[in-house]
Parts: sequence; C-alpha cells; structure tokens
Amino acid sequence: MSDRPARDRHQLRTLLLAIAILSTVLLAAFLAIGAATWLNQYGFLHFPLGFYLLAQGLLIFSVVATFSFIRLQDRLDQTRSENEELG
Amino acid sequence: MSVHSRPRTSNPHLGAYYGIITSAFVSLILMLAMFEQLGVRQTLLAEIMLLAPLALYLLIAVGSRTLNVEDFFCSGRRVPPLFNGFVLAATAVGGVGVLAYTGTVFFLGFDALAIGLGWTAGMLIGGVLFVPYLRKAGSYTLPTFFGHRFRSRTVRMTVGVMLLPPAALLLAAEMKVAALIAVLFLPVSFSLSVIMIAVLIAITAILGGMRSVTWTGSAEFIVGAIGLVVVVTTVSIMLTNIPAPQLTYAEMLSPLHDAEITAGLTPVQPDVAASPLPAPAPTASSKPFQQSFGSLRELDFATLFLCLALGTASLPSLLTRSGVTRSISDQRRSTAWGVMLVALFVMTAPAMAAFAKLILFKGITLAPASDLPSWFTALSQQHLIQAGDANGDGAIGAQELLVPRDGIALALPAAAELPYVLSVVMAAAAIAIALSAATSHLFTLGASLAEDVYRVLDRRQTLPRLGAAWAAIAAAALAAAMFLVIADVDPLRAALTAFAFAASTFFPALLLAIWWPRCTVAGALAAMGMGFGVMVVEVVLGGGFAAGQTMPTTPVASLAGIALGLVAGVAISLYWRTSSKAELTYCEDMRNPDGEAIYDRAQQRAAAAAAGGPSAPAVPAVSAS
Repeated sequence: MSDRPARDRHQLRTLLLAIAILSTVLLAAFLAIGAATWLNQYGFLHFPLGFYLLAQGLLIFSVVATFSFIRLQDRLDQTRSENEELG
Repeated sequence: MSVHSRPRTSNPHLGAYYGIITSAFVSLILMLAMFEQLGVRQTLLAEIMLLAPLALYLLIAVGSRTLNVEDFFCSGRRVPPLFNGFVLAATAVGGVGVLAYTGTVFFLGFDALAIGLGWTAGMLIGGVLFVPYLRKAGSYTLPTFFGHRFRSRTVRMTVGVMLLPPAALLLAAEMKVAALIAVLFLPVSFSLSVIMIAVLIAITAILGGMRSVTWTGSAEFIVGAIGLVVVVTTVSIMLTNIPAPQLTYAEMLSPLHDAEITAGLTPVQPDVAASPLPAPAPTASSKPFQQSFGSLRELDFATLFLCLALGTASLPSLLTRSGVTRSISDQRRSTAWGVMLVALFVMTAPAMAAFAKLILFKGITLAPASDLPSWFTALSQQHLIQAGDANGDGAIGAQELLVPRDGIALALPAAAELPYVLSVVMAAAAIAIALSAATSHLFTLGASLAEDVYRVLDRRQTLPRLGAAWAAIAAAALAAAMFLVIADVDPLRAALTAFAFAASTFFPALLLAIWWPRCTVAGALAAMGMGFGVMVVEVVLGGGFAAGQTMPTTPVASLAGIALGLVAGVAISLYWRTSSKAELTYCEDMRNPDGEAIYDRAQQRAAAAAAGGPSAPAVPAVSAS
C-alpha cells in the first residue's frame, strides 16, 4: 500500500468505472448484434426489435452511459480532491 | 513566446453570436423559398445558398485569426463544452457520414447500422479512456503527447509520420465529398471546386489554427444540423404528418417492404468473395432494407462495428481537440455532447434512407416505364438517378433503377417533390459538415507535420513556430488537392480505411501509455509499429489506399493489428528497460484530475526561467517546445 491512499483509491475506482461503463456498452452491443435476427420477430414502436436496438436503442443507451460516466467520474474526482486537502 | 496567465473565460456573447448565425441561415432559407415562388432561376438560388454560408465561414475565420501560440494550437483552452461537442460531432461524422453513410443505409439497410453504431460507441470509448488524460497532459498534438509521455523525440516524430495516412485519407475523403456537391449545384468543374475547397480550408486553418477551426466549425455544424433537420422533418411531415422522422420511418418500413417485393427485391445471402459496401457509381439496390445480415455476416457486422469504434476512439483529429476546453470536467462534458450529437445524426440517417427508398421505389418501380414522375427527369439531368426499362416488360424493376450512393441524401428533397430551395439546403448542409471535418483533418495534419516532424528534424528552428505550421497546412492542402485531381478516391472506403489505420496504430499505444505506467518507449513504439505494419500490409495487398476491398478484410486486419500491438507493447515493456522516474511521475500527474495542464505548467516554468523569476512549482520535466 502506498503512502497516498486517496490517490490509490481514486485510480482504482476510476479504472473500475471505466471498465464497468465500457464493458456494459460493448456487451449490450454484442448481445444486440448476436440476437438481432431472433429479436426481429418482436416489434417495438413499429420497428422490428433487433433493428430498433441497433438503429436507436444502443445509441440512446450510449448517450445515457456517457452522461452517467461524467456524473460518477466528477464525483470521484471531487472526493479525491477533498481527501487530499484533508491530508 | 507568450505564456498565458489570463483567466480562461469564454466569450459571454458566444450564444448571441451563434444565435444570430442560426437566425441568418433560417432567414436565408425563407428568403430563397420566397424568391423561388417569385420565379428566380434555380442556378441563382443554388449559388446564393451555397456561397453565402461559405462567405460567412470565411468571415468567422478572419475574425478568429490569431498570432498567439496557445490560441493557434488549442483555442486558448476556453471553448465551452457544447461548442467543442459541435466540432467533435462534425469531425466524427463528416460529409462522408451525411452522404456516404446515408447512401450505404439505402443500399444495405440493416447491415449498414454497424457504421453509425461504431462512430457513437467510439466517441464514448475515447471519452472514457483517453480524452480526460490528454486534457490533463495538455499537449497540442497527439505525437507531442507521446513525445512528452516517453521523453522521446524519436517516438514523437514516429507518431507524427504514422498519423499521416489516417489524417490524409480523411482529408481527401471530405474534400472529395465537398467538391462533388459543388459540382452538382454550381457551374464549376471538379478540379476547380477541389482547388477552391483546398484554398478555403487552408485559409481557415492558417488564419486562426484551432481557434478558427473551432469557431468556423461550430457555424458549419449549425448550418449542417439545420439543413438536415429542415429537410428530413419536412419529408416526415409529408409522409406521416408527424415531425419526428427518427420515429415515423418505422411506419414506412411495411410499405417499403411491399414496394421492394413488387420491384423484385428478394432476400440475399452474404457473398464472401465480394465487398459488401456499395460503390459510389450508380448501382442497383439488391437487398431488402430490413433484412438482417444479408450483405454482412454477423461476425463481419461485429468486426466492422468494433473496428470503427476503436478507430473513432483513437482518431487523431478528434483527440487533438482534447485540450481546448477549460478543465478536464468540461472536456468530458464536451465529449458527451459529441456522443449525443453523433447519436442523433446516426438515428436520422436511416430515416433519410428509408424515406428515399420508399419514394423512389413507389414513384419509379411501381409506375409504368412510359409514365415516370416529373421529378425523375430533373434528377436524371443531375445524374442523381438512372432508370430504364432494360428488359422491356413495361415497368422498371429494382435492378433497372441505378442510384449513386453519395447522391441519395441530395436526391431526397427533389424526389419528395419539395421546393428546389430545400435541395440546395441539403447540399449546403452536407458541404458545411464536410468542410468542418476537412478543416479539422487539415489542421491536425499540418500541426503534426510542423510540431512533431519539422521541429524535431530542424533543431535550429529556422522557421518560427507559427510559420512552420502555416507552411505545413498550406503544403498539406495543396498535396490533398493535387491527389484528388489525379486519383479517383471513394470517400467511404478512404474514410473506413483511415479509421482502421487509426485503430490499429494508435489504440493499443494510447491504452498502454495512459493506463499502464510501466509501458516504456520501446513498448509504445512496438505497439504502434506492429499495428501500423499490419495495416500497411493489408492496404498494399488489398490493392492500395482506398482502392482495395475495405470489407471484410480491413476491419479484421485492424483488429489483428490492435491485438498484436497490445501483445508487442506489453512484452517489450516488460522485457526492456523499466520506465524512468520522470516517465512514472508524468504518468502519475496525468491521472491527477486537479491542477493545470502539465504542458502549460512546463511553459510557465520555462517562461519564468527565461525571465529570471521564481520558478513554478516542481512538475515533471516536460520540454516547453
């Protein structure tokens, strides 16, 4: 363990957050691609569901994931700054 | 050299300025629509609609000229997130996206969605993995970042050279798209339009560097977005009575399916021997819109998606913009705006393609060959459509209707029988986005050549810093124009090859350089060299830049390059010398979200040392050059 626990905690949490966000989006994308033909038998908003997910659903999900990432990462950065100021 | 100590506050009147630009463009559309009703000839309407915005872009470029180094290379680090998001979105999508992606969705339907999905996911990946750390590093170019991270002029120059293929291919692709539109709507030859576009983007990039790229790019994005929204929404209202094309085209899928069956389109199977990407020349549609994995197999779809995502994440023209906002947090926000704007476009392009396909198939293939609609003649004269009853059955089947891929979006307003002014609005929108992207690519290319190749080679610094950048930008624009006049470039293939190059060359090296402090200069060079080498072999074996198959081998080669690059980078870093203390400190500082950019602090320290004053707080040793 280093002598800067706030920094180490921040770096670990930043890494975990990046992995969580990216793996969620990529996993959702590959699942949607793999299941698209099967999902197309169902409808959503007049679209075949598989088509909808790849044309819009995943894009909306990516935008939501991006804004969520910003909020969470800003909070992590804020916590590190406060902890380092407190020593 | 001037060093900034001024506060990084944005111009408080930016909203008003761009509100005026928006109002002016909308007013221009309305005024020309009235002129059209008054009988003003179409050529004059096209000239005004295309040339008036160009004059505005030039005016903004002149207004944002600068001789300050920080303004020139990073726009003074005070661009508001939304405006940076505008330029990021325009650069990622580009004119290639507006015209070629829409055309690809027209021909491939479902299978083309991999491209748009890749762009959007790539913006997110880059925003999470690279952008905040490049903002903290504060280097003006991507090669400069590598040079500072590894304390190596060799790696800086090597990256500068490796950056040439993706940036040059994208520059050529965007200039070609802009020139094609100009030829269609203005009385100019292709060569002349290429030269005019090269001059315009070179003036923009030279006058103010990143500053003018940002402010003209924002205006170009607004013009592009308004143009697209006006046209697609009008078509949506005409067809469905609802002004939400992204949702309403779902209702058109069923009639489109019926029209495709009537025109003789049947489900197809992927042909592994041929490139599934449509060619730019007039081509017949051969695949039903909704059929999944008819041109691309599932694996090819996933490969193309991943290649484009990683290519977008590590595209130098996007990453160069990582230092223009006030803080790391603002930089993240600007990426989020970019993701949202790209996603909005990617959701809109299939609507344009579906509307166009439905109108064309219902209007031409379902009508008797002897009684084609009046708009067919107008589009034929513009070479935006070709149709003939080749088999003499009295009707035009799907195989007898030939459409150029990059003309679908431009043909949509006329095919929907909208006023001519909306055709030129669409043209103005596409040319605006293409110019914005082309200027970004040109600046990236020129800045990298000047900062990372010339300044490393010429240690005596014969040319001043901005002088070198001006010369490099002018030379790059001239070279791109000459290349386009001589060579026949397919914008879509060139762009996809560029994204594959960026992914293979830069993604593994960036990942290791930012997230793994143990990565050494030799490891980074091995990672980049491996990825670059794989892509060069692929391009050479595939028949040369942008002339090869592009699909499906290029994305596979790109992903193989990434994997091999990662393995090479890790292995050589582990078995070569360890990272120096300065490299580890730089890496540590880069991941600290607090404080000024590392590069700016180095500049302040250098300026303080030159003035004989007290030095700035201790920071990792980074050259101020």
